[in-house]
Amino acid sequence: MNSMERVLAAIEGAEVDRKAVTITLSLYGAKLTDCPLEDYYSNPKAYLNGQLEVIGKCSPDIVFSPFILSAEAEAFGCDLKFIKKNPPNLKKSVIHRIEDVLSLQIPDIESNRRLQYIREATRLLAGQCGNEKPVAAIALSPMELPSLLMGMEYWLETFLFDWENALLMFEKAEIFFVNWVNSLFSDGANFVVLPSIFTNPRILSEKIVRESVIPLLTRTFKKVNGPLVFHHGGNPFGDFIEHFTKLPNVAAFVLDSRDKFSDIREKIGSERILMGNINGPNLWRLKPEDIYRICKNLLLDRKDDKHFIMATSGADVAYDTPLENIIAFTSAVKSVL
Amino acid sequence: MDISNIDDVREKLKILVIDLERDLAGELLETLVSKSDYREVISTYLEPVLSDIGEMWSREKISLAQGYVAGKIAEDILENAMVSGDYCTSTININRPVVIGNIEDDYHAFGRKMVSTFLRIAGWKVYDLGNDVTAEEFIEKAKEVDACIIGVSAMMYTTAENIKKVRKAIDDNNLKNRVKLAVGGAVFKLRPELVAEVGGDGTADSAINAPELFDELYLELKQSYQNE
Repeated sequence: MNSMERVLAAIEGAEVDRKAVTITLSLYGAKLTDCPLEDYYSNPKAYLNGQLEVIGKCSPDIVFSPFILSAEAEAFGCDLKFIKKNPPNLKKSVIHRIEDVLSLQIPDIESNRRLQYIREATRLLAGQCGNEKPVAAIALSPMELPSLLMGMEYWLETFLFDWENALLMFEKAEIFFVNWVNSLFSDGANFVVLPSIFTNPRILSEKIVRESVIPLLTRTFKKVNGPLVFHHGGNPFGDFIEHFTKLPNVAAFVLDSRDKFSDIREKIGSERILMGNINGPNLWRLKPEDIYRICKNLLLDRKDDKHFIMATSGADVAYDTPLENIIAFTSAVKSVL
Repeated sequence: MDISNIDDVREKLKILVIDLERDLAGELLETLVSKSDYREVISTYLEPVLSDIGEMWSREKISLAQGYVAGKIAEDILENAMVSGDYCTSTININRPVVIGNIEDDYHAFGRKMVSTFLRIAGWKVYDLGNDVTAEEFIEKAKEVDACIIGVSAMMYTTAENIKKVRKAIDDNNLKNRVKLAVGGAVFKLRPELVAEVGGDGTADSAINAPELFDELYLELKQSYQNE
């Protein structure tokens, strides 16, 4: 089986030669090709070369288009700062008063330089991978983008205490999100991963998520043209996952490393794809043999789970992670057939 | 509601915080103030409720939004109390200066701002240097205002590593016995051993618990003065 067949089998619950495995190695391609990050995050060919090295050396079943969420905020006018061994960070937000929301211009995804870079990198990657390997793009839902544009405190304040303007902000982010995600699908992304930080009930509250967030996201997700992967965003969401299973077009969930698969299966049944849950950013700290053992234990635990894909949780794998650690992760899938 | 029963009022206030009812919580506190004074209301009702909320936050039983609203309710009442001239805060750190900021290359301001709020409520005079603050800037400000604690926030491991520069600068400037280094941010919750690794003197598991940490660090400093 090739990677695409393996992932499709996980979707359908069909038999596989081994479990599918993926590891978030967007940044890591820069390390493997010794590419300066300014070039890596602006030159689609440099990104493609990095990901080809990732495929050649690490053999993931799913590859990622550029994981650079700050690019979406940059397109709205935020400044980026390039830092060592990390994707660029945001210097500051662009919305400081409610009037700024009213005048906020939705960026043109056809002309914005950084968005074009992501789109072209996605096209190149999809062109190379063809029907062999799925390509995952990464984007911010309209609940998340405002926290970059306004700062988390201001977005929280607005969302909690100024509902009318929160809706206005959401609607602008929603227009961009639908255009952006659908363009990524048309560029060849097989699915789009949505790191869900602000959406988590540990950030807001279960009541707000249930009564306010889910209806908004339901409306938005209906408008996208492909499958979405709901990512835990840094907090466990096992206690609340049943709220998110009702969202349209959500094909899979990426669990936090603190979530328990068995508990979540009990809550949501056996059909939905669950991914995770080894902490990716922490892999650099472990020895390869420990990573192999942890992965093997997880695979044994999920052996009969036909809708399981082994994946890293959290953000991108750290730049300084030894290659042997990554190979230990991806090769562990061969230990449990 | 019968406001003669202290426990009932505290419970009511806690529920309003948890339900994110900032305005109603403010109204309740002002009603209580009208029957006594700010000092009494803050020490009898608000501080015990904030303590409970902090404990729930530590056990991850409340959300970030609920912690945030607790801070805002406290900030609102404190502001009114200050205007009324009817309030004096903590017993050990009235207006004692501290310097806080996000470390060089870190731009995740939210946690730091919450820490600033809770420190101010507890009576510290907070000099908030904002995001992307270098070790030199922390030291310069600490010297200028004679701060006893520098509080540094980082969200990610890579930026947390820059805190080592602050540790080194404190030591190089012979401030080790005069300035404590408090560290905090998401990465320290995930990896508590990182506190020692970057040279921190302590951390708090939530913004609401930061004043307790700062009190402890200040008392450690006082103890070391007395031993000198």
